[in-house]
This record gives sequence, C-alpha cells and structure tokens, in this order.
Amino acid sequence: MAGTETYTLNMGPQHPSTHGVLRVQLELDGENILSAKPIMGYLHRGIEKLLESRTYVQGVPYTDRLDYVSSMNNNFGFCRAVEELAGIEVPERAEYIRVIVAELNRIASHLVFIGSLAIDLGASTGMLYTFRDREEILDLFNLVCGARMTFHYIRVGGVNRDVQPEFIEKTYKFLEHVPVFMEEYKKILLGNEIFMSRLKGISKMSKETALSHNMTGPNIRATGIPYDIRKVDGYSVYPRFDFNVVTGKNGDNWDRFNVRYNEIFESAKIVRQALDGLPEGPFMAKVPKVLRPPKGEVFSRTEGTRGELGFYIVSDGSTKPYRVHIRRPSFVNMQGLNDMCRGYLIGDSVAAFSAIDPLMGEVDC
Amino acid sequence: MFGKGLITGMRVTLKHFFGKKETFCYPEEKLPMPERFRGGHLVIDYKKCIACQLCSMACPNQAIELKVVTDAQRKRHLTSYIHHMGRCMFCDLCIENCAIHGLHWDQNYEISAYTRDAFDYEVLTDDDRQYLKEVMEAAAANPAPPIVPKKPAAPKPAEAPKPEPKKPEENKETEVKPNE
Repeated sequence: MAGTETYTLNMGPQHPSTHGVLRVQLELDGENILSAKPIMGYLHRGIEKLLESRTYVQGVPYTDRLDYVSSMNNNFGFCRAVEELAGIEVPERAEYIRVIVAELNRIASHLVFIGSLAIDLGASTGMLYTFRDREEILDLFNLVCGARMTFHYIRVGGVNRDVQPEFIEKTYKFLEHVPVFMEEYKKILLGNEIFMSRLKGISKMSKETALSHNMTGPNIRATGIPYDIRKVDGYSVYPRFDFNVVTGKNGDNWDRFNVRYNEIFESAKIVRQALDGLPEGPFMAKVPKVLRPPKGEVFSRTEGTRGELGFYIVSDGSTKPYRVHIRRPSFVNMQGLNDMCRGYLIGDSVAAFSAIDPLMGEVDC
Repeated sequence: MFGKGLITGMRVTLKHFFGKKETFCYPEEKLPMPERFRGGHLVIDYKKCIACQLCSMACPNQAIELKVVTDAQRKRHLTSYIHHMGRCMFCDLCIENCAIHGLHWDQNYEISAYTRDAFDYEVLTDDDRQYLKEVMEAAAANPAPPIVPKKPAAPKPAEAPKPEPKKPEENKETEVKPNE
C-alpha cells in the first residue's frame, strides 16, 4: 500500500502575504501543515550596531526604521530609555504630546493591520477603506512634524516642535470621525460571513502557550491575559487617563482581530482625554548639546503597537552608547507561528501571519 | 441568514461608488505640503552662512560634504555644498543644528531621478558663486594683517634647528571629509 510523504514548501521571501521578506518553511502533508518555521534575516540592517556608532541624539531617526508603521512608538521607547539613563526630566506638555502622537500612531498601525488582514483573506476592498482613514492620521503627522512615515518627532528630552492649534483642531475632527469609519468596517468586514469563517476557531492558542512563547501585545491579550505595559508599568502620563485593556477569550484569529479593532476605540479615548487636558508649558527639556550620560545601563520598556518594546542601553560615559539591544515584539511574537499553524490548512497560514501582525523591519532589525 | 453580511458590505461599497471621490489625479493636481514638511533639496542662505560646518557634523549618515575656503581676511566661505540625497534620511538634524538658521528644505516632493549621480546635489547656486567671487576679491584687496606666531615662553635648549613655523596659506581649499 502506498504511503503519503511529507514535503517542504518555502513560502516567501517574495510572497505578497508575508508582509515583507519573511520566509516560512512549511512542512506539509497534503494540505495540512505539520510545522511552520519562520526564517528571518532578509531585512537585517544592523540597527543595533548603527546606534552604537552614533550619538544618542543622532540615533533617534534610526529607530524610525524599526517598526516603520508606528515610528512614534519606537521614538518614544528609545527616548525614554535615554532620558532614564541621563536623568532628564521631561516637561508635562511634552509627555502629553507624546501620548497623543503615540496613540494616534497606534490607531494608524491597527488600521494597517485590519487592511492587510482583509487583503490577505482576499477582501481587497477592506484594505482600501482602512488606508483611506489612515491617510488622515498621516496628514496630521505631516502637519506636526513634516513627515508621513519616518517621523523623528519625539526627541530626547521632549518633542521636536510644539503642536499647532491647527493640529489640535484637526485631531478633534479626526476623533469625531473614528466611530463613523469603524461602523463602516463593521458593515464591510465584521458581518461578512466569509471573513468570519476564515478567522473563527483558527490558530487557537492557549494562555500557557502564549506565555511560554513570551508573546506580548494584542497577541497575548487575545488569549485573555490583560497584559498591557501602559497599565502594568503606568509609564509617562498614562495612569492619568481612563482606558480599558481589551482582551479576548479564545485566543483565535477572530479574537486577535477584535482586540485590535476595539483597541482603536480605547486609543481614541486616550487621545481625546490628553487633548482635553493638554497643559501649557515648555515642550522640550534642557538637554545638553553634547549628551554624555553617566556610566551605567538601563532597560526601559514601553507598550509598542505590537507588544512590549524594550530598549537596553549600556553607557560607558562617552557620547555614544556602548551597547544597544532592542527587544522587538514582532520578533518574539513570531515564535508562536509554529503553534498557530500546526494542524491547520495551508490557507490558514496566511491568516496566521497576518494575525500575528509582524513587521519585517522590526523582526530583522 | 447566510450572506446577509455580504449584502450589507456590498451596500457600503455601492454607496461609495456613487459618492465623493477620495483620490486626487496626482500629476495634474498636486497636494500642498505643510510648512514643516521635510523633503526635497536643501536651500542655503549663502550670504548668512559662516561655514561653521555644524550641519555636516550633525548628520548621522555623513550625507553632507562641504568644501571650505579661507579668504584674505581669514573668514571662511563655502565653495561647495554637496548633499548626498541617497544617504539622507531627511531627519532634519542639519537644519536644527544650523547656527544661523539659514538652512531649509525647498519642500519639493518630486525628487526622483534617473541616475544615481543626480542624487549628489549641489546646493550652491551660480548667484552664490558670483557672491563668493566678489567677497574673495574684496578680501584680497584689503587683507588682514598676518598673524605673528607667539614666541615660546621658555626657550629650550634646541638639539636640532626647529623648522620654521608655517605661514597661514591663503586661499587654500580644505576639504572636509565626513568623520568615519
């Protein structure tokens, strides 16, 4: 009697649904996935090393290139680490502005997630709608810092420039628009039977597995663990705002989608509260022209869009960091891919990549 | 009922099909860029520039290559300001570090080019060169007194005859190489 054989399929690195240059080695038995092994390194630029050869201030634009869909959060994380190292006190207005732009960027990034998930499942219409609304946020950022992707707006000690009244006005207008377009996605995607059946019950992951893989961000919240650094650490001015940590129940792709979908509302809530309470004052602390933090090391973590974003910086007292290590949430979350794919069909692997929401710039760093 | 969600979705699409267009006809219609927009070529206020080279030093990626000349009055002037746009991250650090706030972007976002050489953009214009020529001639006509080298405080017993102190060479072009 003839037996079946397994075979290996290389998905990527040039595959449209792997969000960049990710290669996944799939071990297949017919259409069933036996194992999925992510192979990284196609977009490695050595950002950690680049940061070590630049001064602290010069290093900030390089962090834009990590997770290029939510650059503000990366700037935020790096600057917080340097400030902790150098003992710089950030003015209150700057903290508020940082929270506003970081949360707006979180909304933009989640919109990209919804759009790319939709297009990976074959609904190209869904992508166009989310990118249309993301454009509004990018226009806001263009207004305030002059760039649409690599912002370099949050600096060591505060923010680059003060926000204009026009920005505040337009942000309020955008916040009023949030429920409108979210309602539209609900009609297009959430109620769609095909979309639902592609996601519900697929790539289930238990709390224990997610914890053992060290997953963070929306991926772990989808399994039901309310782990959010904004609540756990309460860094910056986040404790002053009222927002909920969105969690899922089953840990399947549908929950991963829903967590991010609902997080947009929570982020919008934070932005509104921050805009209402925006204090007057300086937007930049006094930072010496030549920044020489004292000898020591620091690990500072923030809640990036994709999870816990950590910066480990060692200073030897000179103008350049001795060592920089970045804990990239996308990279760590990728470890769960095998568990999410094993036992499901090959078509579901695409949904699994999308639901992890990895960004190759951050995975390879 | 299965398919109800699909119909609801289609209704939204249909509404937008007859609704207002969200896109622009790009090459004919151009979006205005805000005042803070970073992009395009660098523009320098040459008459204000003191050739301090802070912009070149602030660049994280060594994208700015300067050539500096000293005139007869010992004032520095730029003879060449090459912006290597292929290396540039448009991070704005050069502009923020400018000592005289004389550097800004021209806000043109159509900067693609056919060849790689086109990305080595010369910022100085012909007017700037003409101005430099005039300044150099004016300085040559009215040179500053030469610097008298200071005598050493305590004369040491010299074993070998010391080489004569070099006179400051005038009009010598020095090239500022980006520090590796």
